[in-house]
Amino acid sequence: MRRVIGLILPPTFSFLEMMWRICPALAVGCTVVALVPPASPTPLLLAQLSGELGPFPGILNVISGPASLVPILASQPGIQKVAFCGALEEGRALRRSLAGECAELGLALGTESLLLLTDTADIDSAVEGVVDAAWSDRGPGGLRLLIQESVWDEAMRRLQERMGRLRSGRGLDGAVDMGARGAAACDLVQRFVCEAQSQGAQVFQAGDVPSECPFYPPTLVSNLPPASPSKGSSSVPWPVVVASPFRTAKEALLVANGTPRGGSASVWSERLGQALELGYGLQVGTVWINAHGLRDPSVPTGGCKESGCSWHGGPDGLYEYLRPSGTPARLSCLSKNLNYDTFGLAVPSTLPAGPEIGPSPAPPYGLFVGGRFQAPGARSSRPIRDSSGNLHGYVAEGGAKDIRGAVEAAHQAFPGWAGQSPGARAALLWALAAALERRKSTLASRLERQGAELKAAEAEVELSARRLRAWGARVQAQGHTLQVAGLRGPVLRLREPLGVLAVVCPDEWPLLAFVSLLAPALAYGNTVVMVPSAACPLLALEVCQDMATVFPAGLANVVTGDRDHLTRCLALHQDVQAMWYFGSAQGSQFVEWASAGNLKPVWASRGCPRAWDQEAEGAGPELGLRAARTKALWLPMGD
Amino acid sequence: MFAFANFCTYFRGTYSVWISKIQVNHPAVLRRAEQIQARRTVKKEWQAAWLLKAVTFIDLTTLSGDDTSSNIQRLCYKAKYPIREDLLKALNMHDKGITTAAVCVYPARVCDAVKALKAAGCNIPVASVATGFPAGQTHLKTRLEEIRLAVEDGATEIDVVINRSLVLTGQWEALYDEIRQFRKACGEAHLKTILATGELGSLTNVYKASMIAMMAGSDFIKTSTGKETVNATFPVAIVMLRAIRDFFWKTGNKIGFKPAGGIRSAKDSLAWLSLVKEELGDEWLKPELFRIGASTLLSDIERQIYHHVTGRYAAYHDLPMS
Repeated sequence: MRRVIGLILPPTFSFLEMMWRICPALAVGCTVVALVPPASPTPLLLAQLSGELGPFPGILNVISGPASLVPILASQPGIQKVAFCGALEEGRALRRSLAGECAELGLALGTESLLLLTDTADIDSAVEGVVDAAWSDRGPGGLRLLIQESVWDEAMRRLQERMGRLRSGRGLDGAVDMGARGAAACDLVQRFVCEAQSQGAQVFQAGDVPSECPFYPPTLVSNLPPASPSKGSSSVPWPVVVASPFRTAKEALLVANGTPRGGSASVWSERLGQALELGYGLQVGTVWINAHGLRDPSVPTGGCKESGCSWHGGPDGLYEYLRPSGTPARLSCLSKNLNYDTFGLAVPSTLPAGPEIGPSPAPPYGLFVGGRFQAPGARSSRPIRDSSGNLHGYVAEGGAKDIRGAVEAAHQAFPGWAGQSPGARAALLWALAAALERRKSTLASRLERQGAELKAAEAEVELSARRLRAWGARVQAQGHTLQVAGLRGPVLRLREPLGVLAVVCPDEWPLLAFVSLLAPALAYGNTVVMVPSAACPLLALEVCQDMATVFPAGLANVVTGDRDHLTRCLALHQDVQAMWYFGSAQGSQFVEWASAGNLKPVWASRGCPRAWDQEAEGAGPELGLRAARTKALWLPMGD
Repeated sequence: MFAFANFCTYFRGTYSVWISKIQVNHPAVLRRAEQIQARRTVKKEWQAAWLLKAVTFIDLTTLSGDDTSSNIQRLCYKAKYPIREDLLKALNMHDKGITTAAVCVYPARVCDAVKALKAAGCNIPVASVATGFPAGQTHLKTRLEEIRLAVEDGATEIDVVINRSLVLTGQWEALYDEIRQFRKACGEAHLKTILATGELGSLTNVYKASMIAMMAGSDFIKTSTGKETVNATFPVAIVMLRAIRDFFWKTGNKIGFKPAGGIRSAKDSLAWLSLVKEELGDEWLKPELFRIGASTLLSDIERQIYHHVTGRYAAYHDLPMS
């Protein structure tokens, strides 16, 4: 387990939400320092509670202070993980400022959710779902409402009628639906609604609401297409619902997935097949079918894309506070003088090499992109030397354009690969393993030239093939059911592919590390862009020759070149869904800093070497956990 | 007396547009039902006012095999004087004419009820159940004859039961025709159609049956006979109230709602009033559009009012029996 967790909570959290974050950390044995904003009284209750933990003083500590304390807390030497919940921009700034620090960062950002209303839904019940999501005290933020065009009028009429019956007031009134969330939230909503109106949206407000400041009436905004400035940039604040129409289910998925936010969503449809298709297709962390806002401690809750990738609840919530046994506590690699603007920007030039030893000059390797070897955009190559300093071969000098092409090829291959059955994926991995074994002598001889002993080289090749087979066998079918108290019906915990995964391989173990990283990524349905070992990329390129025949095009793409430059390109790329970096400490820091762009989950080695031949580190469950993301699918049942 | 409403009833066209596409999601309706009970609580003098209002909605009912003229007479007097005079005086409501909405009895007891009410000097209507209450499994001819005889005897409101077998076999047009015939047999009398929702199988069926009953000319739709295993519950009521609202939006006609069976405590009755207020609005909180079918509810309400006025809990014998 990690030892001390720093928890940063926003002012809009209720007591229950705070406990959701604190209890799992305490349960696995960590101690918690919570930084809470001073404006609300809830933290005082939290502090009182922590004071009552007599036998174990100090496991829960509460600091009430402003947001400026956040970087100070995060950079304390004892803290090993910082979990931040709050607004998007603050999360980004925190990610940038914590790059390279000892503490790991988990982000849970944004409060917006989505409700998808199809024409086969029970519209009145879906309207109740909207009330639960946006016009009550249970929902964290505003709602994007997508209504199928054929039921638009019906749905709007019922929504407006229902809004008229909502009551807002002080909580102690006893007969209210929603309260207030402070003057700051009220201002935010005012601004959003004014902007929307100035862009031609229609705003409808109703309900029995006091007119003093912190109370804001339930609001329904329509006629605000995605291209309008206020819609695209910010998330929808509470208590606003922004309604938009869609024509078909496919269009609904495109519109729903067309934002950077990926928190939670609900699908309302009485047709099982359609509901499941939409549920599986939405890129969010939690999907409810014909319900909204259900929560349970045993179900993981989190998000993807810009909602951050930290989880609470369920097994994923516990993994947040654990690390694999045997891995060292994080070392700080903060170098204050790392210039983020110039890191990896220019490619240092390489001297021309001497004549090549061997029967005939081999042509330089190209980049393996889109299923075949291509010439690099820069039309230049770099020499690779073996352990005795002689020229071993030439590989291509990849650049920003090549990275772009590789990521595009990976994206093109992704839908087909993610849609493959686990058996088909396993079959391809096994085919690659067989191809590796056939090529054993070539690979072993190349490894020998790099300085390995023959026996060790052959063992490395065999281990690589075994790893491929093992991951192929571990490819699981989708989802397993969680037991949830109080709900009739299953909740599925699905493991879905991340998307396009960028991997920068370590210098050592040029073949084994490459295969050990490639296999889990592919097994879980991702497509990859890999930067092989800088010392000897030739091993990886040999494997590519087999991949060209065995794999579909674009599944795995290998780009060689200057490692720092390629790392920069990949880390700054907004369409790469996750990145694994096993290079230098400085590179790790840059990667963490740059991931703030699209908040991609990052796994960086911080310059520590990893024993790739050991099972625990080379093929352990950590790789499997990081190669996929979770989605919770709720299916309440009953008729 | 409710005027017979004339509206366009080309059945097949209307059916496909209004009814066939309806979907009701059961778990979501259950969730809404739980919320309603928790979220609208009424206390103190407002609670007393709401309880008095609830009294004016009660159809005081006795439907037992051992009804005779003596207990009918007691019931009718209780309908005229539902709350003890001194309690009403303390609340300053003794001259507002607070009586229950109606008295509900079996067809054979209608004469006794009419006589007793006349003797009490009260003009509240007598409602009679009819059409093979409670199961409805008798021939159509006798069912229609029951209605006619009850109307002759002086009942001004008739509570009919629908033929559940038609719902369960999907014969919606036949159901519509039967209810039309009941409507005709009632003549000027006020028609309440009991859907017996506990036996209809699914909430979607409840919605469809409600719509058909309203289309065929009912003045009220009623949840249950009170004799099924599951009677008036909130989920079923939510579906029926949504049907009433949709019918009002489509035709402009307001149809009434009556839950019956299982409503025994004053707290329940307040929850029912909140439900109707939330779903349909204040216009439906009138005896012409809302009734509660109950028998022991009245004594519980009276005890709550006693407590509100005196601050003490009444014994069983403190309040007059019905």
